[in-house]
Amino acid sequence: MTRSFKVAGLLAFTSVTRGNMGVILLTVLILTLVSLNLLFIPSLLKGLVSGANERLRNTYSGDIIITSGTEQDMISNAAELVSKIEAIDGVTAVAPRNSLGAQLTSGNERTTAIVYGVQPDREKQVFTIYKSIIEGSYLSPGDKDQIMLGVQVAGADKPDLELYTRSLQTVHAGDDVTVTYANGVKKQYRVKGIFYTEFIQTDLQAFVAQDEFQTVLPLSQDQAASIHVKVKSDADIPRIMQEISGIRSGLKILRWEDYAGIVRSLTDSFNVINAIMNVVNLLIAGITVFIVTYIDVANRRRQIGIQRAIGITPGSITLAYLFRALFYAGAGVILAGLLFAFLVTPVEARYPFHFPFGAVYLVSGAQDFAHMSLIVLGVSLVASFLPVRGMMRMKIMDAIWG
Amino acid sequence: MFDIQQLSKIYSTGSVKVVALDSVSFTVPDGAMLAITGRSGSGKSTLLRQMGLLDRPTTGRVVFDGKEVTSLPEGERAKLRLKALGYIFQEYALLGELTAHQNVYLPGMMLNSTGNYRERAAELLELVGLGARTSHYPKELSGGEQQRVAIARALINTPRVLLADEPCANLDTVSSRMVMETLVRLNRELKVTIAFVSHDPDDRKYAGRTITLSDGKIVAGEDLPA
Repeated sequence: MTRSFKVAGLLAFTSVTRGNMGVILLTVLILTLVSLNLLFIPSLLKGLVSGANERLRNTYSGDIIITSGTEQDMISNAAELVSKIEAIDGVTAVAPRNSLGAQLTSGNERTTAIVYGVQPDREKQVFTIYKSIIEGSYLSPGDKDQIMLGVQVAGADKPDLELYTRSLQTVHAGDDVTVTYANGVKKQYRVKGIFYTEFIQTDLQAFVAQDEFQTVLPLSQDQAASIHVKVKSDADIPRIMQEISGIRSGLKILRWEDYAGIVRSLTDSFNVINAIMNVVNLLIAGITVFIVTYIDVANRRRQIGIQRAIGITPGSITLAYLFRALFYAGAGVILAGLLFAFLVTPVEARYPFHFPFGAVYLVSGAQDFAHMSLIVLGVSLVASFLPVRGMMRMKIMDAIWG
Repeated sequence: MFDIQQLSKIYSTGSVKVVALDSVSFTVPDGAMLAITGRSGSGKSTLLRQMGLLDRPTTGRVVFDGKEVTSLPEGERAKLRLKALGYIFQEYALLGELTAHQNVYLPGMMLNSTGNYRERAAELLELVGLGARTSHYPKELSGGEQQRVAIARALINTPRVLLADEPCANLDTVSSRMVMETLVRLNRELKVTIAFVSHDPDDRKYAGRTITLSDGKIVAGEDLPA
């Protein structure tokens, strides 16, 4: 076995070092591009999914969402429930919300949105929306006649927004908007702030302080349409959910993943595209190695015949070609890894892709690199083995003298 | 050493059958220097390829060291080629990407990776007068030098038999004489059994025994003084 490896190593080494440099460079270049593509698309998909999920948790749902599980729309005795949930080990913050559909108008523009009545101090502990204020400022607990709008509601003179045409288009912080709630209450608000989280579902929301909300919907006092819970990063969410359900019956308790269906359809489509592109890429890699090996084997038919005639075993000759394929694939994989780590990822981080769920950054780890490497190396080995196997079945006489 | 028994080789091309060897029988004793001569197309090279286990006869047997080797599986024949037989091709048949030294030690490496095949290859190149050309690639060597590298390569595993197929066919007179004298020296000094094919009747002078083929049959066999 050692002998075969040594002989194969010598034959492979000399064929690479003494071979046609142009062919070698072209083969390595193609395999580099294929490997790069195999790294890039899954990383983009991962970035998209993790980015979307992160925004979902931080700006839209929190980690656990509690709503009424009975015929009543609202959770009663909300303050008591909130304090009991806060006492559960692993819970870091709790924010109750009330909500009501409304029509917002500004000048000739109108749009609809859900207006949430929130406790700003608690909101800041559960959500990161306060970090995404692009105009004005975040709500304060006692704010009256003031509203905070998502950028997809306000428009804020940003025609590039996905839903700009259905927004109020030109509303900025400090402007007045008229809000007509679903219960018929009509109020004039000054826009205190506009936020832009890059997560469309969040940016379509509007917020007023709970005290203000109670003037619109007096019944909402000590009630909540939903309660959002933030937990520690290492917390046991199922246990916490279990404990919450033990506090009071009649609650519907969901994990943030139950809200992730918003992004799931998009990522499912991306997974299909990713799979198709992977197959195409692997076919390109396989066919490239196959053609290079096939042409080489055909051109060296006589040399291979001579090698066999002087006693070099078919196994050693085949191994030499496999080594060479490993060299091509290995060089391609390493170059692709370096390009991805030191060029593509930093450049993409600087100029990220923008999706409806926000800016997407490439997410890739050693496991992804290992997975891609194994696939490219495996395909290259198979693709180089096939033409060599055919040649090894040829009689020595035919190989040397035709 | 070699006992060739009723060896026939028939090539079929469609309905046309060409008899390259027709019931050839002869023996080659240990330490002999045998010349196989004849005109072009007489079956000389075909006969040598059967002896070198590069091809299988249509009928008949090749017995080597008392063992019938014609029907051995390809793996066994490859081992025998590697260990006991050295084959020298008419067209040198060196591997272009390997240096003279690498060309010589490659079969040695195949046989014994831990042995001193590199040193032995250098010694053999010295023996054939190419001690100063070890790092040259085949294309940097003359025809005669390439053929001598091929001889050194054939000797790397200390074969008991050296089979040479028209080793001087592509060489000038001076190179031819040098190659043939090298073979004679190997036969005399290292006691290597040698069978060589030549279309040049003059080459009989290098051999201890000659057989002449015509249309695949032995038409003359004689013992000549070496």
